[in-house]
Amino acid sequence: MDEISALLDDAATGAAEARTSQELSAVETRVLGSKGRLQALMAELRHAPPEERRSLGARLNDTRVAITTIFAKRKEAIKAIERERRLEAETVDVTLPGLPVPRGRSHPLSTTTDRIKEVLIGLGFEFFDGPELEDYAHNFAALNYPEEHPAFDEQMTFYINDDRLLRTQTTAIQGRAMRGRKPPLRIATVGRCFRYEAVDATHHHTFHQVDVFMVDHHVSLADLKGILKAFASAMFGGDVEVRFRPDYFPFVEPGVDYSIYWRDRWLELGGAGLIHPNILAAHGFDPEVYSGFAFGLGVERIHMIRHGVTDLRDYLNNDLRFLWQF
Amino acid sequence: MRLPVEWIREYAPVPLSSGEIAERLTMAGLEVESLEETEAGAVLDIKVTPNRGDCLSALGVARELAAACDVPYQGGPDIAPEGADAHGIADRIQVHIEEPDLCARYAARVIEGLRIGVSPDWMQRRLIDAGMRPISNIVDVTNYVMLVTGQPLHAFDLSALHGPRIVVRCARNGESLMTLDGTLRSLTADMLVIADAAEPVAIAGIMGGRATEVTDRTSTALLESANFRWQSVRRTARTLGMNTEASYRFERGVDPEGVAYAADLACQLLAEIGAGTPLPGIVDVYPGRQEIPELSLRSARCAALIGYAPTDEEIVRALSALGYAVHRSEIGVFAVRRPSWRSDVEGEIDVIEDVARVLGYERIPERLPSGATTFGSDTEASRMDARVRRSLIGSGLTEARNHTMLAPDPLDESLSGYDRISVRSALSADLSGLRRSLLPGLYAVLDRNARRGQGPLAFFETGAIFGQDPSGVMIEEAAVAAIICGPLHHRSWVRDAVGKPSFFVGRGIVERLALDLELEFRFEPSSDARFHPGRQARIILDHRPVGIVGELPEEVSQELRTRDRCVVMEIRLTPILDAVTNHTVLYQPPARFPAIARDLAPRVPLDVSYARVHEVVEAHGRHLLEDIRVTDVYTGPPLGEGLKSLTLSLTFRSSERTLTDSEVDDALSDMRQSMVSSFGATFQEA
Repeated sequence: MDEISALLDDAATGAAEARTSQELSAVETRVLGSKGRLQALMAELRHAPPEERRSLGARLNDTRVAITTIFAKRKEAIKAIERERRLEAETVDVTLPGLPVPRGRSHPLSTTTDRIKEVLIGLGFEFFDGPELEDYAHNFAALNYPEEHPAFDEQMTFYINDDRLLRTQTTAIQGRAMRGRKPPLRIATVGRCFRYEAVDATHHHTFHQVDVFMVDHHVSLADLKGILKAFASAMFGGDVEVRFRPDYFPFVEPGVDYSIYWRDRWLELGGAGLIHPNILAAHGFDPEVYSGFAFGLGVERIHMIRHGVTDLRDYLNNDLRFLWQF
Repeated sequence: MRLPVEWIREYAPVPLSSGEIAERLTMAGLEVESLEETEAGAVLDIKVTPNRGDCLSALGVARELAAACDVPYQGGPDIAPEGADAHGIADRIQVHIEEPDLCARYAARVIEGLRIGVSPDWMQRRLIDAGMRPISNIVDVTNYVMLVTGQPLHAFDLSALHGPRIVVRCARNGESLMTLDGTLRSLTADMLVIADAAEPVAIAGIMGGRATEVTDRTSTALLESANFRWQSVRRTARTLGMNTEASYRFERGVDPEGVAYAADLACQLLAEIGAGTPLPGIVDVYPGRQEIPELSLRSARCAALIGYAPTDEEIVRALSALGYAVHRSEIGVFAVRRPSWRSDVEGEIDVIEDVARVLGYERIPERLPSGATTFGSDTEASRMDARVRRSLIGSGLTEARNHTMLAPDPLDESLSGYDRISVRSALSADLSGLRRSLLPGLYAVLDRNARRGQGPLAFFETGAIFGQDPSGVMIEEAAVAAIICGPLHHRSWVRDAVGKPSFFVGRGIVERLALDLELEFRFEPSSDARFHPGRQARIILDHRPVGIVGELPEEVSQELRTRDRCVVMEIRLTPILDAVTNHTVLYQPPARFPAIARDLAPRVPLDVSYARVHEVVEAHGRHLLEDIRVTDVYTGPPLGEGLKSLTLSLTFRSSERTLTDSEVDDALSDMRQSMVSSFGATFQEA
């Protein structure tokens, strides 16, 4: 075996034995470097007999190409191995929990209110805000409450003075919303109400109520039933049946309380009825031309029904164990 | 009101079970709240709405049931004709009504030869089932008849009266009466009383007096059956803090036409059970007799409002069953006269309700309203509220909702300097006033959850706050507040994922809120006594203070048994609504020329605020400054005592051309010089 063949063999062996890029480049320098063996053989070429010089030169060149290819291939292989090693070193325990990103929550009453609004706005109702600190006129007088009437007994009121009180019902919005407007009206409001109640699992002195009303030509109890059905179906999902039962509220006539049939039971949702002609007339809407309906419902009640909550007090207690469930 | 089912059946013979009767009554508007089975049968507890005083009796309930079930209503027991001497009674007693506006009718009968004893078992049973206590035969009969007819009755010991004269008048100031319950009542001139020749013997429609009570020794009784104006009874009962079976009924309306029947029925029963001998005849003074006006009921109107058209026959049947007089006056119009016991029926709409009710609300169809399209929308305030909530939830805070009413609290201070609004005659401290700040509620939430070892302790609330300005005007406005104590997430193996809260976490959350609302807040040192004196800032929008952000003093952390700092913020939302609503972002084309970034690191005395440094930078930015960021604040060696070093990363860019280094260098040099001369800044470089 001549020197050229030996060089090729040594290069191949050296490349194969190199384990890292560094080892490989050391071998490469030894063989192909400016002071390497191939260069030394090239230098000897001029001492060769002239007739062999050409073929010898060609062999040396071929050898250089072959060695370069060997090193290039080996370099690729080592790179792949090294990459693999690096990735292996970076491997983490993916079963550990992730970086905690702070997460807030919406209060269940806000979530429910947002949903109620979405449905009612979709049904063409315009929302309106009214004060929690109301006056007697809007909370009672404008709603057809006769002075001194026992109907007040059902609404034990927090008074600030003779004129100002904490609203007992969001229905107080009606007078504010009708002022200076003309039918067709579809108005809704949502907010806090207050009544003197001993606090227990089903009663609270502070609660949230939605009040909805509509005034237009030809509004009837059938329209009320239809809207309630559409509303309840959207809120609770599925086909919901609506039932009326006679009830009394001074501001509606006929007055009803309405229930929905949902998941195999009747659930009372709130009071409703046709707006009393006295109220329409008081706002300059001729009751012979216009009629209207109104209904109310409790925000807490909706959430309790949907999620099976049994204690009303949870909503204002703000225990994280409660709030983080929804 | 409790009522045995068999008693109702006596007057309305319906072929239904107790449960079915309860269901029918409920669907007719007399809500049966409970059905209790006793040895003697089922007893219903019926909730009668305040407009239906006529249903506070067995006959009233039976009439509604009969109408709902379409069976004939039997009415109460007939009164047998009396013997001769029907006028003799006028010689025995006289009745004078001084206040006909307050007493529409007063009837009196006399029962002689009383043998006071117990009432028969059947009567006692019914009284007990109805929730009343049997007392004696004569008292039981008055109560029994009240339960049958709804007409309250009262029996006086005739011999205890000063003379045989009953006067219905207002009390005189200074008069008083010991009522049956043994309480001495001071009377005032607006209270209606029953008096004899000398003094009051009963408070009209509420309770009789002890001195004229029927006792074992009573031989002759005067039986009162009267009709008093409900407003008067209610006012007096409330003033005196009394609520009796009689006042409850009068407040809700009693049939003036039923007065004599009730007196006669009581006398007949007393005779039947051998309790005494009624003197024939009745003294019946009826100054308030009123013609009941006829109302028109248009069947088209009825159909338009209830949503379907009942037939004429159905209308007649429904109204007749309830006791209306009804006839057709012209095509499509009925002339109707309400029964005397239905004073709640005032107009056509009330008649329509009765028709719909008797025919059953289940007949009302479902329909979606037709007519003009309306535009559904939310309010601006509510939309802003939603944006605020979204921002804070995004920052990792949990939304809370707290009470509007609260006890006085050191955190409950108004940002606007308003006084607290107090609730009149509050029953407890917790319900004694309206919140001026959302912070007391949030602090309580934090405290409660901290005690249970729960977290993260980061809460916010949006809601109304209240106050009274110096001129006494009461103000209600929307606000948002937040409280944070400890990290914003649970403990984790990932170290320092998010830092512990300090003033700057609070300010950061407020700054993010400002970005989400597209507002620019400024912050300046403030001195609110509730907060850490050196770690609080007023939040300014367009030169107006709108809120505060700061740390609670260290005592609070001790109270909460935590080493973490407690950061809070509160912002009044109402004053920023306009700025939020009327702000529209205008498009800026993306920059086409490259930016130049430079750092500036002044060393300044500790008491020079960043705001002053910032001001200088902005003043010399030559409109080329795109961004200023503080990337480091350092105190300590090798800096001298009393010094701090700030590192600002500045970005310069022109929208019109590529900037040259020398332009930027000039600007930086101006900034340095100005800082050197304004507050003695030094610079390490150059």
